[in-house]
Amino acid sequence: MFDDLKRFETGSPRQFDWFSQLLDGFFPDGNAMDIRAVPQGSFPMINVARSDDAVRVYVFAAGLAHSDLTIDIQDNVLTLRGKRDSVTSGNEDGSSRPVFRRERASGEFVRAIALPDGLDAERAEARHAHGVFEIVLPKREELKPRRIDVQAA
Amino acid sequence: MNNVVRSSNHSPLLQRGEEQRSQETLLPAVDIIEESNALKLVADMPGVTNETLKIELDNNVLSLEGEIALNMPEGLSALHAEVRGQRFARRFNLSHEVDSDAITATLVNGVLTLTLPKKDSHRTRRIEVQAA
Repeated sequence: MFDDLKRFETGSPRQFDWFSQLLDGFFPDGNAMDIRAVPQGSFPMINVARSDDAVRVYVFAAGLAHSDLTIDIQDNVLTLRGKRDSVTSGNEDGSSRPVFRRERASGEFVRAIALPDGLDAERAEARHAHGVFEIVLPKREELKPRRIDVQAA
Repeated sequence: MNNVVRSSNHSPLLQRGEEQRSQETLLPAVDIIEESNALKLVADMPGVTNETLKIELDNNVLSLEGEIALNMPEGLSALHAEVRGQRFARRFNLSHEVDSDAITATLVNGVLTLTLPKKDSHRTRRIEVQAA
């Protein structure tokens, strides 16, 4: 579903960009070792989707239990706060062990995203499963799409 | 407007694009740590459940694959997406040190922890100096 955004990126303007097409031909996307596919910079990653009656925010925060994430809404800004501990590389006797890769973000994080207008923060709900938080923010009643029946004359 | 978008999906060009998109895979971020008698591999795979996770070991190549299983309601349209893919996949070459029969895995809150024990012959051993 979120792949829909990809459609805009691969739209017609790119068709004229012969150079990037050439590069894409040599280094095709979706390669398992594509370094750009490594999530970088932001933790946790966030997807936002909209349905007719609500806006849903998906927070991909692996390793956080449901009590590890604080979710605040103020003035249509959603703020996510939390902390993820790094994997301990220490031994029982305190000596550290070699670390071969450290790609996972650790430590404290704060992320804030602006929400669309017209959401009812009072009725917001959040769920957590398998490291993904789902925050459901219902639209206010008066902003929901409404069908207008045509009266017979 | 929805109908316009939906009908344009049926054009062969876009359909091809959709097939490509459905195969879009993400690389999970990993930590690899050496412990005294095992290697520990920790991978972030949010949204992956026990049922959708597949770990295979073939010829010293360890491959992790997991489908993101979110139960999202129908009729959602994306406003903003940082995770643009349905599955995680990554492969690792294992060294001969690893005892491939004794690998264990746990998946908690979308974090996969693999313990790759070293073979007995490769464990670190401390040699005590005997008093003369």
